[in-house]
Amino acid sequence: MLQRLLELVAEGGLRSCADLARELGVSEGLVGQMIEDLARMGYLRPVADGCETQCAGCPLAETCAIGSPTRVWALTEKGQLPDART
Amino acid sequence: MTNDQIPNPKSQIRNPKPETRTEPGRSVRNQITVALTGQPNVGKSTVFNLLTGLSQHVGNWPGKTIEQKTGTYHHNGITVQIVDLPGTYSLTANSLEEQIARDYIIKEKPDVVVAIVNAAALERSLYLVAELLELSVPVVLGLNMTDVAEQQRMYIEPHVLEAALCLPVVPMVASKNQGMRELVEAVDRLASDPDSYDPRRPGIREDHQAVLAHLQKIIAEQVPEPYPENWVALKLLEGDREITRIMQERLSPEKWEQVHSILMKHEDAILAVAGARYEWIGRMVRAALVRPTFGQVTLTDRVDRYATHPFWGLLVLVGILGLVFWLTYTVGAPLQELLDTYLVQAGAEWVRSALSGAPVWLVGLLADGVIGGAGMVVTFLPILIIFFATLGLLEDVGYMARAAYVMDRFMHLMGLHGKSFLPLFLGFGCNVPAVMGARVVEGQQARLLTILVAPLVPCTARMAVVAVLAPIFFGRHAALVSWGLIGLSLVMLAIVGIALHELVLGGEHVAFIMELPLYHLPNARTIGLSVWQRSVAFLKKAGSIILIVSVVVWALSVLPGGEIESSYLAGMGRLLSPLGKLMGLGWRMMVALLTSFVAKENTIATLGVLYSTGEEGARLADTLSGVLTPAAALAFLAMQMLFIPCVAVVATIRQETGSWRWTAFNIALLLVLSFSVGIAIYQGAVLVGWGV
Repeated sequence: MLQRLLELVAEGGLRSCADLARELGVSEGLVGQMIEDLARMGYLRPVADGCETQCAGCPLAETCAIGSPTRVWALTEKGQLPDART
Repeated sequence: MTNDQIPNPKSQIRNPKPETRTEPGRSVRNQITVALTGQPNVGKSTVFNLLTGLSQHVGNWPGKTIEQKTGTYHHNGITVQIVDLPGTYSLTANSLEEQIARDYIIKEKPDVVVAIVNAAALERSLYLVAELLELSVPVVLGLNMTDVAEQQRMYIEPHVLEAALCLPVVPMVASKNQGMRELVEAVDRLASDPDSYDPRRPGIREDHQAVLAHLQKIIAEQVPEPYPENWVALKLLEGDREITRIMQERLSPEKWEQVHSILMKHEDAILAVAGARYEWIGRMVRAALVRPTFGQVTLTDRVDRYATHPFWGLLVLVGILGLVFWLTYTVGAPLQELLDTYLVQAGAEWVRSALSGAPVWLVGLLADGVIGGAGMVVTFLPILIIFFATLGLLEDVGYMARAAYVMDRFMHLMGLHGKSFLPLFLGFGCNVPAVMGARVVEGQQARLLTILVAPLVPCTARMAVVAVLAPIFFGRHAALVSWGLIGLSLVMLAIVGIALHELVLGGEHVAFIMELPLYHLPNARTIGLSVWQRSVAFLKKAGSIILIVSVVVWALSVLPGGEIESSYLAGMGRLLSPLGKLMGLGWRMMVALLTSFVAKENTIATLGVLYSTGEEGARLADTLSGVLTPAAALAFLAMQMLFIPCVAVVATIRQETGSWRWTAFNIALLLVLSFSVGIAIYQGAVLVGWGV
């Protein structure tokens, strides 16, 4: 199931947890847990943990109209499995 | 009191006289050990306290600083020693707690392990159970917090779960002392008949079964006591550090080499092992959990069916943007006009009459430079407040993440770098964080592309300029025009992105996951606070950089002779006249465009200074509306949207690219783009005879 998740993500573009949950036939909660596990194993990497990392150090953060309260993960090099693409 | 409620379990369970039991098929023992496991916050301590009462002993795990709690209870003549294992999410030995729990179960071999799981978070809780089942100790599942699950409309059928897992499942509410007797009895039954224990284990994915068997064959009879062979083989495949170390020490170099080469060849086997556990969890939960039929979760699902749909989602986004502009114009624009009349015009009048005896230049500086320029920009405030409030509202209810999600798909279709959406989306607020945010993009070329297209995202300052000028030039069609201008910016962004993507990037493949938050009711305080912070920051900007530029523009417009037509500014503006003519624009409009390089709002400030007629009650709107033809006005607004960004963004581009060459390229690109589009719009309109 983890491999299938990585395959779905590797198809490219942006996937939401709900989208992945639907395709894998499990709940969003379980997808969240799998994502955390994959991140721990080094297959995924958190991109931006909301505003803190995204806006830290930006002098115009307070005038910025759009924060980013969402969590985003990217496939790591390890996550782009050669056999996951088959 | 119901049958399954026991206020003091010890008093009811305890049987002081040990009995010798002789039932056939049941082992006869007077003392057993039970380990209590579970994740943190599943009510494990409550269960432990209820079972052991005052018989607890608290110490530390040998050689560790982690607390160890043990206790006893008596049931059916058996003394049951309970060991409370540290709360852990898994048994992978990542933490000291996990190490202790795992070592205890493997080395001390308790007669029964009671796994307490949270019924309201069954999926999350079951991972630990999946790992427990891979060991040989019998497990009883304490399905705790069933009341919380039911409150959340999650109904678990214990007998179905029991049939699916093939192990005893006891529904309970430990906080209300419900289900404890059943738990004790289930433990007793399993401890006295351990041979009956044959649960459905997660196993390993089919394509890795052969390699697991092969590995197990190599390590056969080499696995130290008390580790189970099949478990060690599984853990080796999983890359478990401790087991790998133990086996490396234990095996002969030749055998270890064999094992090592298998592990190297299957280094992604962890996905097959952990993936099988998740599949198992999915099967168990699908079998036993009745999902909620309504509530917050499904509301989000229902809304997202449209809000994140590739086509409908885009329509929703466009519709919401349109609505924001409609609101801005119907509410904000009249307020802006009021401020213009009663603050700017009246203020300028007051200065002129109050300082009637003062030097002409001082009156001009204050009335035309300060009030006409920077004061004019302050009248944006109602428009910005509405804009900030609607954006804040959309952000707070959780829509912004969806907008980003939809935007990304839209951009991705056109070949834009998928991961660039985050920084680009920030660009709607201000282009500076968009350029800075490009740091999250991997790969130098991809980062560069993101930086180069970031100035094409319409920022709030540009949109505010459009929000002021569009109603002046286009009246009731203002919202439509603004909407079209944003569309134009995004289309240009896509075209430039595709062109640069093809030339620079060559189709790099990027993928990622986004967690969309649940929709929730907006919080007035959160929105109010963000509107306040952003408004204050805007006013600070108006009071500093915009004020300075207004004064400089005013000074250049009256020096050296006091006549605007013979001023330095007019001289500079006339240099641009040939270019302006192609777009039907006079030198004043070209100068207004140029001053937007310092800050986008300066366009308005400059127009305020340059079109100050000095006549009583003459508003900028009235003066401006007669100056440009619709075709020239549209060309001007389009240029305003695509023109080089403000100096803060340019400085950030220099800083982030570390190259003057790329910064100059970006400026040249945007200059060419904005003038080309402006000329194309005006000349196109002339050609078809519209608005000239």
